[in-house]
Amino acid sequence: MGTIKQHFSAPMADFRAATAFPQYIRNDGTNFPVPVLAYDASSEEDAFFLFRAINYGSGNLTITINWYADTATSGGVSWGVSLACITPNTDTQDIETKAFATETIISDTHLGTTGQRDHDVVGTLSNLDSLAADDLVALKLARKPADAGDTMSGDANFVFFTIAWSDT
Amino acid sequence: MAVLADEDRRRVWAHAMRMWSTFGLGAIPVVKADLRAAVDATDTWIDNNQASYNQALTQPFRGSASAAQKTLLLCFVAMRRVGLSMLRTEEDG
Repeated sequence: MGTIKQHFSAPMADFRAATAFPQYIRNDGTNFPVPVLAYDASSEEDAFFLFRAINYGSGNLTITINWYADTATSGGVSWGVSLACITPNTDTQDIETKAFATETIISDTHLGTTGQRDHDVVGTLSNLDSLAADDLVALKLARKPADAGDTMSGDANFVFFTIAWSDT
Repeated sequence: MAVLADEDRRRVWAHAMRMWSTFGLGAIPVVKADLRAAVDATDTWIDNNQASYNQALTQPFRGSASAAQKTLLLCFVAMRRVGLSMLRTEEDG
């Protein structure tokens, strides 16, 4: 039994023209660049990632999201993660009209001390949309400004996420 | 001038959060609800102190300028007090 992990950074995101999306910012940094997706604090914005669920076996997925605050030093951030899964050659679903399964809310709290410190938050995705091995998976990542847990002022900068599953 | 409508206050609040970083004003020291309360308080304070501000203006500007012109003047002076990044004039180069 093994755990398969895949890693997605901000530059790998895609966006819908018809849906509000986070601003892609390439922060030059003092010593290395930090590309991020800057999620607004008052309006929901979405980014999308496509990948293959290589050798998925069973069970829930675990997602670890790395983020930092643009200007805040306190408060909470709520992320929304949704999956849409298609089994190639088996599912007859039109890929361009495929719908997402129920969204999972993952909340984190700014740890203070330094505004732009890196945080990671781990969430379990159980709304799997009948995920099967080697499925094509679309993942939607949103900030949920209207969620009660999203109290942090200013942008939440998404850096990358790691998603993991069991191969058995 | 009356106080801003709730939606106008909400938009000022959202704009302030977006611009905070752009203008290099450092960390926002409070959560969203606290910042929104500050926006509401600022708008209320302006409304409550219109007469005082008007009285502080010198003539003939006080008697000649419109309410909008007086309000904009207040904004210009306040923005300049924040720094050049907020109100850079042609004279600043």
